[in-house]
Parts: sequence; C-alpha cells; structure tokens
Amino acid sequence: MIYVENLRKEFKKTIKEPGVLGSFKSLFHPKTEKIVAVNDISFNVPEGEILGFIGPNGAGKSTVIKMLTGILTPTSGKCTINGRNPNENRKSYVKEIGVVFGQRTQLWWDLPLRETYAVLKEIYEVPDDKYHKRMAFLNEILDLEKFITSPVRTLSLGQRMRADIAASLLHSPKVLFLDEPTIGLDVVVKDNIRNAVDYINKQEKTTVILTTHDLADIELLAKRIVMIDKGSNVFDGTISELKSKYGQIRELHFDTDTENVKDILSYKEHFDFNDEDITVETEGSSVKVRFNSEAVPVSDMLSYTLGKINIKDISVKDADIEEIIRRLYKQGV
Amino acid sequence: MRQIKRMLRMHKIFVAQELKRMMEYKGDFIVGIIGFLFAQCTNMLFLWIIFRQIPSLMGWTLNQVVFIYGFSLIPKGIDHLLFDNLWAIGHWTVRKGDFDKYLTRPVNTLFHVMVERLQIDALGELIMGIALICITLPSVAIQWSLLKILLIIAVIPFATLIYTGIKIATAAIAFWTKRSGNITFMFYMVNDFAKYPVSIYNNAVRFIITYIIPFAFTAYYPAEYILTGNNPLFNIGLTIVISLILMVIGIFVWNKGIRAYESAGS
Ligand SMILES: Nc1ncnc2c1ncn2[C@@H]1O[C@H](COP(=O)(O)OP(=O)(O)OP(=O)(O)O)[C@@H](O)[C@H]1O
Ligand SMILES: [Mg+2]
Repeated sequence: MIYVENLRKEFKKTIKEPGVLGSFKSLFHPKTEKIVAVNDISFNVPEGEILGFIGPNGAGKSTVIKMLTGILTPTSGKCTINGRNPNENRKSYVKEIGVVFGQRTQLWWDLPLRETYAVLKEIYEVPDDKYHKRMAFLNEILDLEKFITSPVRTLSLGQRMRADIAASLLHSPKVLFLDEPTIGLDVVVKDNIRNAVDYINKQEKTTVILTTHDLADIELLAKRIVMIDKGSNVFDGTISELKSKYGQIRELHFDTDTENVKDILSYKEHFDFNDEDITVETEGSSVKVRFNSEAVPVSDMLSYTLGKINIKDISVKDADIEEIIRRLYKQGV
Repeated sequence: MRQIKRMLRMHKIFVAQELKRMMEYKGDFIVGIIGFLFAQCTNMLFLWIIFRQIPSLMGWTLNQVVFIYGFSLIPKGIDHLLFDNLWAIGHWTVRKGDFDKYLTRPVNTLFHVMVERLQIDALGELIMGIALICITLPSVAIQWSLLKILLIIAVIPFATLIYTGIKIATAAIAFWTKRSGNITFMFYMVNDFAKYPVSIYNNAVRFIITYIIPFAFTAYYPAEYILTGNNPLFNIGLTIVISLILMVIGIFVWNKGIRAYESAGS
C-alpha cells in the first residue's frame, strides 16, 4: 500500500551573520547551510495496517508525512501510496488520503463547524446522501454534536482535534495520516480518538500512519512501529520484536530497612556495568534497580542483592515499551 | 467547468459567512467605509483646487479627470472585493506553513485561495467609483454605441485581472522567500499614478505604468476610450492582451512556487 524508498529531504537554511553589517552582507552573499531533515528513509506499510511512526523531537517525522501527503517535494528518493506518486496528479491523489496535523488546524477559523463540513463536502465532491450518512457516523464516533454550530476559533483543543479528525475522514479516505493527533489532550478525549481510529481501521480497512509521543497510542493501536532518529531509520518491526531485541532491561523492585543501600550495593563496581546498563532509584524504603540482563543475569543480581542486605519484599519486572524507547532515544543509535 | 461550479458553491458559503460577520460588526464596517470615503474626498478636493487655477489639464476637463478617477476604482474594487486573500499568502500563510492545507485538498490551490474570502471593505471603492462616474457622466459628453457598451462590459473583468495577475505573481514569490507582502505592496503603490491621465506625467513614468507595471491599463487607457472613442485597438485590445499575459505569468510563477514550498517546522 505504502512504499517508501530512500526518501530524502534537505532544507537550505540561510545563516544570519550578527549585526547590521552582517545582515547587509547576507543580503548579497547569503551563506546557506544544508539541513538533512530526512536521510534516505525506507519502509513499507501493508494495506489496512496501523503503523506507529515514532522518534524524538526533530527526528523528521512530520517532514516524512509532508512528503507522503504531497505538501513537500522530496529532494530524492521515492514514495508510492496506493500505486501513486503524491507529487504527480496531486488533486486526484489527495482525494484518497486524509491528513491531520495535531499542531495546527486545517479548518477555517471563523466558520461554524457545520459550514466547515459543508465546504469540505464541495471540495471532496461527496454526494448528498453519502454526506448525511457520513456526518451521522462521524458524529457518533467523535461526538461532535455539542459544538457543531460553534465557530472553529471558539473550540477547545480537544473539540478542535475531534473536528479536524472528522474533517479528514469525511471523504472516506483509503489512507489516513495522523501527525500527533493526541497532543495536549486529556485521557477521555485521547480514548475517544483512539477508539475512533481503531474503529475506522477495522471497519473500513483504512491504512493509518500515526506519529505520536504518547506511547500508549502506539501500544493500543499499532502492531508495527517504525522508529527514526536524526532523519534515519532506527527500528522497523512489531512491538514484540522491539521488546525481544532491546528488551533485555529488567527492573528489580524491593523494600528494605537497610540505610544507604546505594553505597552498600554498589552494583556498578561489583559487576562492572557500563553506565547506561544500570540505574538505582530509592524512595524511602523502596528501591528500584534497572539493569541490562544481558550484561548480568537476573539470578546473579538477585542472589547478590539478597546476600548483601535485609530485604522485605522483592520482585522482577520486564521493562515496558516506554522504558525501551526512552533508552533508544537517549542513546541516539 | 465542474471545478468552477464547485468553487462557486464554496464561495457562496464564504460570502454568506462574510455578510453575517459584517452584520455582527456593523460599527467597524461603517467606520471603515466612512474613513475610505473621507480619504477619497480629500483627493477630489485636491483636483478641484488644481482646476480652479487652470481650465484644463493636458486637454482634460475636471469632469473627465474625475470620471477617469472614478473608473479606476472599479477594477481595483472588484479585485479587492474578491481576491484579497492573496495578500495573506505573501504576508503569513506561506511563512507560517499554513499553506499546507491547500496542498492536501483536491482543488486547484490558486482557486481555493481566491474564493476563500470576500473583502467587504472594498465596497467603499466600488461605491465611490460608481458615484463619481454617475456624477460626471452627464457632463463628459460620451458618444454611445452598442459596440462601445459591449467593449466596456468586456474590458472591466480584464482590467481587474491586471491587478489580480500582479498580485498572484508577487504573492507567489513568498514560496521562495517566505515573505513577499511588501513586494506586492510596492507594486500596488504604483497604481496611484494610474488614476490620472498619463499625459500629465513625464516619459519615464508614462513608460513604466504602461509597459513595466501596466496599471495604466486598469484605468486611464480604457477610460480614455470610453470618453473619446479613440484607439480601441490600443486602449481596449492591449488591456485584454496585457491582462492575459499577466495572468499567465502569475499562474506560471505560482505553479513553480508550489514545488519550492517548504512548509514550516512543527
Ligand atoms: N520548513 C522547514 N525549514 C527548515 N527546516 C525544517 C523545516 N521543517 C523541518 N525542518 C527541520 O527538519 C528537522 C525535522 O523536523 P520535523 O518537524 O520533521 O521533526 P519531527 O520528527 O516531526 O519532530 P517533532 O516530534 O518535534 O514534531 C528539524 O531539524 C527541523 O528543524
Ligand atoms: Mg512533528
């Protein structure tokens, strides 16, 4: 469905030299610097899949989405969606896709929401009967009724996001691009949006690419993730693959009445851990030890700890996906 | 054709909205119009003072000059009324990345931008223009013929497109430079010259407003034909040709610009 091959985007940035003289100079001899925002990225998304597209701030996610939706022209590389190139025949291509940028609305500021959809109906040439059915449906899954007569500028963030998502779905697109659709929303609205995306994906086999910084979105919606950093691919696979590949992190939780556990245990010196392979956090009498079980087996950690101090209650946990991703982002693989 | 019909239906919704808003902020609207009319009256006063010293200006009477002035406001007002949204492109839409939304919709981006707004304030120009024409019409002795009436009706939309074409081309520069509102503004400043007979200017100015930034074709030349019936080929024909050339340039620059559009971070 979606094929991305060595996609690349460079931006030119003019460097402003300081001072009046500098800005005068740059008027005639602008110094430019090349920023590689997306550095030869490749991935595929099969039809009907929800892909979680993640990466730290500035990784290039939005830039990729903008190329896939035809907003930006790639510097080089190729993307094919539904067998088509977004930069050719733009008008008929965009009829098949829906786009939401959580950071900014695509709706008309002063138009009441109902009129907004009336305009979009004309833009996407949705026939009357289909339009009424679709509005009733979107109303149901996104709960628009309460603010459908309000101008967009008066909507709260959560209402506006639901309105934007409904707008992107009005013409029943085959592919949906969601760039941070849950940014800044409360739990209830997040749930509402996740359910709506899940429902649309299941009911209509809509292919979805979703970027987010809330990993719960990914865990609840996506089977597969593509992670990028500094414009390059870092990981491409299912969540369970991610866990087995990077999930050697374990967490040891215990309660103790011994004081100064950190000094007494000194795991790092004893086992010769690398810095990023061990962290110890204490809070009152409870202690949380996070370590790489590839470096030191769980059994060794347990017997060493039990032999050193007085322990009331102990448990070992798998690290959750959030922890794995935090480590990946920090390392900047 | 189908696209134009869709655009018109879209336009209707925006127009209705704009009218509603006008009713909501009546005070602001009325003050704006009065302010505009007042500024125009000072121009008229200025003309009147000049003509108290001299009976005619390069062969034009006061009434004729006022007629030309009034006519100049019609294409300008129509362009201002219908296509004002292009200003926003050069000022902030491109710079802030808000142009993204036009590119994700299955309609021509230029059409979309142009139908999205109605600038009601432009009614000031249209009211003033029509008023000045009506006031001076009985005393400028025009020879009417059917052909002339048809040519006048035909030339007004083309004269309007001279403004629009220049605005499209200069707004589209923002796709490369991020901001071009001031370039559009600079061009539009020149149109003040076109409100008066070009024969009062020196050769350099005359050449510029005829062939470089051809605003003289939005007002003086068509009005000269209406008043005298002279040179229809130049006065009307060239207006049409120039307006088509400018529209072609505008659309060309616009389409090139879209490919260079860089959106904005975040
Ligand atoms: N229009 C632009 N002009 C210049 N540089 C840009 C532009 N858009 C993005 N960039 C740069 O490209 C890089 C990637 O930006 P992008 O917005 O794609 O990141 P992102 O992964 O979406 O980040 P975030 O999670 O913060 O939204 C950044 O370094 C950014 O500064
Ligand atoms: Mg982003």
